Amino acid sequence: MIELLDLVKRFGDLVAVNHISLKVERGEFFAVLGPNAAGKTTTIKMLTGLIKPTSGRALIAGCDVQAQPLEARRKLAYVPDFPFLYDKLTPWEFLRFTGQMFRMEEKQFEAKARTLVERFNLEDFLRKPIEGLSHGTRQRVAIASALLHDPEVFVIDEPMVGLDPHHARVVKDVLKERSLQGMTVFLSTHQLSVAEEMADRIGIIHQGRLVAVGTNEELRRQSGQDGALEKSFLSLTKQEANFNEERGQAAPSAGNK
Amino acid sequence: MNGGGSKFFSPLWLLLRTNGLQAWRRLLSFRDQSRLLSAAIMVFVAGYLWLAYLLFYKAMRFVSYFPGLGEVLVERMLFLLFAFLFTMLMLSNLIISFTNLFRNRESTYLLTMPVSTDTIFRWKFIESSILASWAFVFLIAPLVTAFGHSQKAPWHFYPITVTLILLFIVLPTVAGSWFAVLLARFMDRRAFQVAAITVAIGAICYVAFGTAPEQMQDDFEDTRVLGLMDRLLKRTDFAQNPVLPSYWLSSGVLRWLEGAFGSAVFFMLVLLSNVLFFGFLSFTRLGKPFYEAASVVQSRGSLFGHWEWFRKWRDFKGQRRYEIGFLERAFAIFKGWLPGDVRAMLVKDIRVFWRDTTQWGQTLMLFGLLGVYIINLRHFSQQLTAPFWIHVVSYLNLGASALNLATLTTRFVYPQFSLEGRRVWIVGMAPIGLPKVVTAKYWLTTIASLGVTLGLTVLSCHMLQLPWERTVMFALAITVMTLTLNGLAVGLGVLYPNFREENPSKIVSGFGGTFCLVLSFLYIVASVVLLAMGTPWPGASDVDLGKVLFGWVGFGLLSVLLGWVPLKLGLKRAAHFEY
Ligand SMILES: Nc1ncnc2c1ncn2[C@@H]1O[C@H](COP(=O)(O)OP(=O)(O)OP(=O)(O)O)[C@@H](O)[C@H]1O
Ligand SMILES: [Mg+2]
Repeated sequence: MIELLDLVKRFGDLVAVNHISLKVERGEFFAVLGPNAAGKTTTIKMLTGLIKPTSGRALIAGCDVQAQPLEARRKLAYVPDFPFLYDKLTPWEFLRFTGQMFRMEEKQFEAKARTLVERFNLEDFLRKPIEGLSHGTRQRVAIASALLHDPEVFVIDEPMVGLDPHHARVVKDVLKERSLQGMTVFLSTHQLSVAEEMADRIGIIHQGRLVAVGTNEELRRQSGQDGALEKSFLSLTKQEANFNEERGQAAPSAGNK
Repeated sequence: MNGGGSKFFSPLWLLLRTNGLQAWRRLLSFRDQSRLLSAAIMVFVAGYLWLAYLLFYKAMRFVSYFPGLGEVLVERMLFLLFAFLFTMLMLSNLIISFTNLFRNRESTYLLTMPVSTDTIFRWKFIESSILASWAFVFLIAPLVTAFGHSQKAPWHFYPITVTLILLFIVLPTVAGSWFAVLLARFMDRRAFQVAAITVAIGAICYVAFGTAPEQMQDDFEDTRVLGLMDRLLKRTDFAQNPVLPSYWLSSGVLRWLEGAFGSAVFFMLVLLSNVLFFGFLSFTRLGKPFYEAASVVQSRGSLFGHWEWFRKWRDFKGQRRYEIGFLERAFAIFKGWLPGDVRAMLVKDIRVFWRDTTQWGQTLMLFGLLGVYIINLRHFSQQLTAPFWIHVVSYLNLGASALNLATLTTRFVYPQFSLEGRRVWIVGMAPIGLPKVVTAKYWLTTIASLGVTLGLTVLSCHMLQLPWERTVMFALAITVMTLTLNGLAVGLGVLYPNFREENPSKIVSGFGGTFCLVLSFLYIVASVVLLAMGTPWPGASDVDLGKVLFGWVGFGLLSVLLGWVPLKLGLKRAAHFEY
């Protein structure tokens, strides 16, 4: 379960995230959409505790990310847009490393790791150093190791970048399965089809604000458009821009003082 | 890797093991790239150890025979050596801790893992201390050994000294890492910036005015030497300040050597208690400040955001969005001589260099230190009347300038091509062609570095009051060396590219970078020796023409071999490059 309580992040004069509040239930599959520079990655960074919010709080499975960081991170898995991997290790060694970081039992680790390796077709790469792997393979290694400890909350930024259609399908299936078993998924993407197909609810962030939340159906109604999600998305992010223009300013900006 | 049981688990140990394994594999792949070249590096390392040992040993013996003052001078040399070590370790720890804590993907990654920020800081603390210290420890190891031998130290002197040095290293690491955290946290505060600039200006003023040379009173040769010694001792007094950790280290080592074990143990305990105290604080109290600072670094809008003028300037620039930059307009002067694509490359390179604070920060520091040293040469020039010594000092200056340049070409010029390779989609695919890119880079870095090295060399000749023909000769020598060192770095950069890394310091620490550094150093040492052979000092009675010829021709050939040849090979390789 994820809770964002009135989150704000400023970078100097720029308000990258502007009073976002949101609750994602246990087992829900939530997708965030938004144009470039909308503030998706910044929101995710605050959610995972990488940066401190200017104000507001983020809770993961009931734990405040800032106040109880260790409890929160134990229940969390985060795959950034460019994941860090130890280049000289092999995927298998990296998986073991992750398992040990999360203090998994040896037997439990073996069982889970083997299933994930098979699922993501990593068998052939297990003994090759990560530095020699292709982008998509690295991505699969990162996702597999993030799923290893059965996280309660799974946060992933742009997961499909670099994955071939086959493995994109695998990732989608695995995430959906897990979410049906109770894992909360928070996913940011530009691929509207992914959101449309997978997400229980969709949130649209635009210029730092959460301009719309709801099921595909609800978004369609809110935007007054029918048909594909693309239409709702374009109309919602455009409406918002017009709304700002009417108020006579592009984005609400406030200095440090 | 084994273990991973749940009974006893230490994340720090896991991190140490994993990174240790990584480092070991890196070393192995280094060896596998070319055994021959690795062997060459080993030979170089052994050669350095031997040569440094020999020189320092001779110097110690020479100094210790000095009538009356021998013992004092020997002691002072050790104090100075460790004080120097302390300063260098602090600087290098500051720089390395900063990048390692705040500009490092592993730290960011670890911040999302279930380990406490204390643990992350502990691991980064250990890693920084190793990265920042190993080179200096390696550099002074032969000197300390030579010191022990020249003083006929008993066997147990060596393990004790090693232990003390290892303990000692913790203190500059503590200072460096704490300061790095402070810097990261408060760098954008107005008060902090004002304080830093005040300190810097104060230091410059002190060097420029505070240390003006005193005039010598008497002119008798004998008393003059004593006066010089006296002055030298006075000037280096700072190394014997009892609050300096290096003082505890040196005193511990010296007392042990004298057999005054009680007093030696006292200093060791002082060192140990400080190490335990500060080490304990670092291991238990810095996790939170580190996390706060990391968050601030990742969310910093702009460094000068608090200043009115900066905001005005930024707003002003914001209004002229489509303006052509200053550099681009400046380079338009060369319209007739340089084609547009080459100019675009040059402008881009200069901009990137200028906006990367660490790059010019390090350049400034290296050459700034050298500049301060050279400006202080005037103290010597009045006292070193013997032409022989002036001769020696002038060659040492040449060597020092070139060595500085070599560190910079290796650090900044060598990785250029690899970095460009990561951006192959734009530069490699542009119709300019890679050889032209490489040539443009070569000339840009050469001309830029020539400005500095040539300036410093001429300044040093001026400070030593050398005659003009000598100045011309040194200027010529440093020009050739600058051309060569840049050629070597650019050429090897193309021959041993690394497109996987985006961090230039990682590219440099690979095989090609090490090779470049070693070759540069060898070249400099050989050149200085050859040039010294080629130009006998004016006082010398008989000039051996054969030797002169050998020196100059040797220097020329060596420069062609190590500068022109790698560059040509690199260009050839670049012409049909496969990614
Ligand atoms: N460290 C930083 N310092 C200053 N500004 C930043 C920083 N990080 C992000 N920003 C700004 O915050 C805004 C939001 O960026 P963010 O990365 O969250 O966008 P995003 O929604 O993830 O975009 P994309 O879809 O392109 O990934 C942008 O305007 C960006 O320039
Ligand atoms: Mg993003």
